[in-house]
Parts: sequence; C-alpha cells; structure tokens
Amino acid sequence: MIYLNQAASTWPKPPQVLKAHAAALSAVPAGQFRGGSAEAADGMEDCRNRLGTLLGISDFERIYFSSGATDSANAVICGLKLKGRRVFATQTEHNSILRPLLNHKDRVGQVDIVPCDALGRVSPEQVEAMLDTDTAAIFLNHCSNVTGMIQDVSAIAEIAHRHGALLVLDAAQSAGCIPVKGDAWGVDVLVFTGHKSLFGPQGTGGYYVREGIPFSPYRYGGTGRDSRQLIYESGNYEFEPGTQNLPGIAALAAGVAYVLEEGVEQIACKEGALMQRLREGLGAIERVRLYGDARCSGPILSFNIDGLKPADAAYILEGGYGIRVRAGLHCAPLIHRAMGTEECGTIRASVSNMNNEKDVDCLIRAVREIAESLEDAHEDH
Amino acid sequence: MKIIDKIASRERCAEAGWYAWDFILDQPMDDAFILSLRPLGSFVYLSMLSKPFFKIESDYRLIKGLRGDNFFRVAVHDAYRDKLAEVEALVSQGKTE
Repeated sequence: MIYLNQAASTWPKPPQVLKAHAAALSAVPAGQFRGGSAEAADGMEDCRNRLGTLLGISDFERIYFSSGATDSANAVICGLKLKGRRVFATQTEHNSILRPLLNHKDRVGQVDIVPCDALGRVSPEQVEAMLDTDTAAIFLNHCSNVTGMIQDVSAIAEIAHRHGALLVLDAAQSAGCIPVKGDAWGVDVLVFTGHKSLFGPQGTGGYYVREGIPFSPYRYGGTGRDSRQLIYESGNYEFEPGTQNLPGIAALAAGVAYVLEEGVEQIACKEGALMQRLREGLGAIERVRLYGDARCSGPILSFNIDGLKPADAAYILEGGYGIRVRAGLHCAPLIHRAMGTEECGTIRASVSNMNNEKDVDCLIRAVREIAESLEDAHEDH
Repeated sequence: MKIIDKIASRERCAEAGWYAWDFILDQPMDDAFILSLRPLGSFVYLSMLSKPFFKIESDYRLIKGLRGDNFFRVAVHDAYRDKLAEVEALVSQGKTE
C-alpha cells in the first residue's frame, strides 16, 4: 500500500508514537487529578508544553485537549461570545468549522463568507473590505485541505484586531508540517487535531484560547478536582471534563516530540520537494488538470483526469495500483465553487514526512497509465 | 456467478447523496461477466489497464469494478435505494449472462 491520503490522517505513525500508546495502555490507569496520581497530569502538561513550543504559544497551559478539530471548533464556537454578533469565515473552511458556525444558531449571529480565488488564496485586502466594527471573529483556515494554499495569518490577524475582532485559526492541516507562530502572528484562538501531521492517534486534538478573552465551556462534568463545587459561579471554569484520552495524549506527545526532533522547517522542506516532484510529474501528463501551483506550498495537491470522475480514478488507483488517495469534496464544499469543481470534486494526493520519492513516482506512473487508457476506452451509451 | 455477500462500502460518496455497497462474488470477474452487465446502463471499459476497469452508469445507479476482483461496487442515489435489489436479482438469476 502506498498511502498518499496523509491530509486525512497520517500513516504510518513513527515507532515512538506506537510505543507511547502501547505503554500508556499497558500501565495501570492513571487518573487525571483523581486519587492523587501525578503521572497523568504530568503527561498532559508535558504534551501541552510540547504543543506550545511547536505552535509558538508561550501560554501553553491554556491549550485544552479535545477529541479533534471538530470537537475543538464546537467548543470554541459555543464558548466564545458570538451570540448576535457578526462572524466571518473563509471560503476555504472545512465543515468542521462551517457546520458548527451555521448550525449553532442560538450561539452565533450572522455568518458571512470571505471569498477565495481558484487557488484557495484569501486576500487580506478582501478581508479588510468586508469587516465592520460589529465583527466578533474571523475564522481562518491556515492551510487548505483541498489546494494546500497557506494563508497570510499575520496580515489577517492584524486587520481583525484593528476592527476589534478575534482571529480564530484552524491549524488542523498545518500543525506539524508548516511552521505555526501563534503568539507572533497574533492568533487569539487556535484549533488543531492530533491525527494529521502531529502523528497522534485519531480522537486527539485540542484548542488554545488567549487569556483575557471571555470564554466558557459548553460541556460540564467530573474533573476529579473540587468535587463539592457544582456551579461555576466565579467563572473559574474547567475545560477538560470527563475522563481524558490519556493513552491518546501520551501518543500525541510522542508525535509532537517526533516533529520537534525532525524540525517542522525540515519537514516542510522535504514535503515541499515531494510536492514539487508530484506537481511536475502530473502536470506533464495529457488529460491531467492540476488545481494549484507552486504558490500552494502545503503538502496537498488536487487534480483531475479529463474523462474520468475523481471517485473512479481513486477506485482504480486503490484497486489496480495499491495507491490510496482521496476523491470528492474533502469536506470543504465552498472552495470548490472557486475552483470550478463543485459537481464531483477532485482527486487529492497528500504526503507526510513518512513518504518518499518512490511513492510519488508510483502515483505519477499510475496516473499516466490511467490517462493513456482513456484514449482507447470502450464506451457504449 | 453468485453474490455471496453485500457489504456497505468504505467509499464515502454519501456527501453527494449516494450510498454504495460492495457485492462480493463467489469467483473473480472475467471479461464475459463484465460484458454481460452492459445492458444495465452506459458502459465504459478501460481494457488497456493492467487491471481493467469498468463502469456502468444510469441516472440513479452506478456499478464499477476491476477485472480479476471478486467484488464490484454498486452505488445508488438515496431516492432509488430499491434499485439495489434489482442488480442483485439480475446477477443472482444469471439474467445478465
């Protein structure tokens, strides 16, 4: 199996992640603040600390764990004070952001979409033109999971702040493979998942909320701390209720440690070279249309083969060549309007630090064979 | 050719309102079986591939597979789920041969 669906979930995981997960599951269960066990709390703090280093967030104690980006987005959207306020999201957003924004109608005011171009780029000037003083927040997807376009977070955060709005960054697709500088860019809230380029297991993730931003939890429950307190009247909330996914967090910590050891700049450089090879190889094939160019510097490339639906191409690649990619809208429906791929979506190839040139070359060869076979296709209508 | 099982497909085409199942067969598909499916819709066959691919499409149903596999995939639009049984019956009763 050649796995080029890394943007969905990375595979394989580095050996230290598997080891950390197995060790956590094999050990006597530790209780987060429960029964006086300090081990679990230490493990969580260790993971928070590493995440803070990787994401450029000095106040890492304000990184809270969740089950992933969707869970984080729901926590953020319900926890921020957005009721009756105007909110912007970009056309590149994933449904993990769009659906909570558009369905928590009792907690969010008007939602407007900032358009992107066919590459998935959101222009800071366009953001500036749309914002008004009643804007509560801008939700910005850092790296498009369809085209790999990286947005200018710093410029858009500066515009947001000038209009009194918060910058909420979705780093699900960038954390671990693209440098993220949360504090330096002025990010107010950041959402991430653990199972993509952080190499953690599925079911891990989290979010950060800068100190001073009015924020309350949308879920309550046992935390093992101060059990007599039933109502949080003082606003001293807890944001991680319920038994936490400690084995998952231990594995996530190992994944983040792997990324820090490898160096996120080095990872971005290696993946960038693989994507350039892929882009050049696929671009040279007749019938192949690429969506994006070298300006899309994330480890993701969308393309189509003229005469074949994306889902069929993915079926042939998997069944005929043992190559796993993804086809369709990739849970980001709005960007396809800008790309002209609304009806069937695209074929998406994505790499991680675990892929190599051989993987990319196999995909190029397979796509060439498929494209050439269409010349001699037998068709009855 | 007999259908020995029917498994909900891993292919997530549900985002477009389609639902898919893999029909598991008692033997690998050969050219004769694939060509016998032609009456079920517009037919495309990429026979030049090392593992040839076929697709049969109508307004509400899509069938596709690879020669040599012992399964093919059937997708139906949500409003036409009853058409799934039609394919099953056709193959099981040998009416496609």
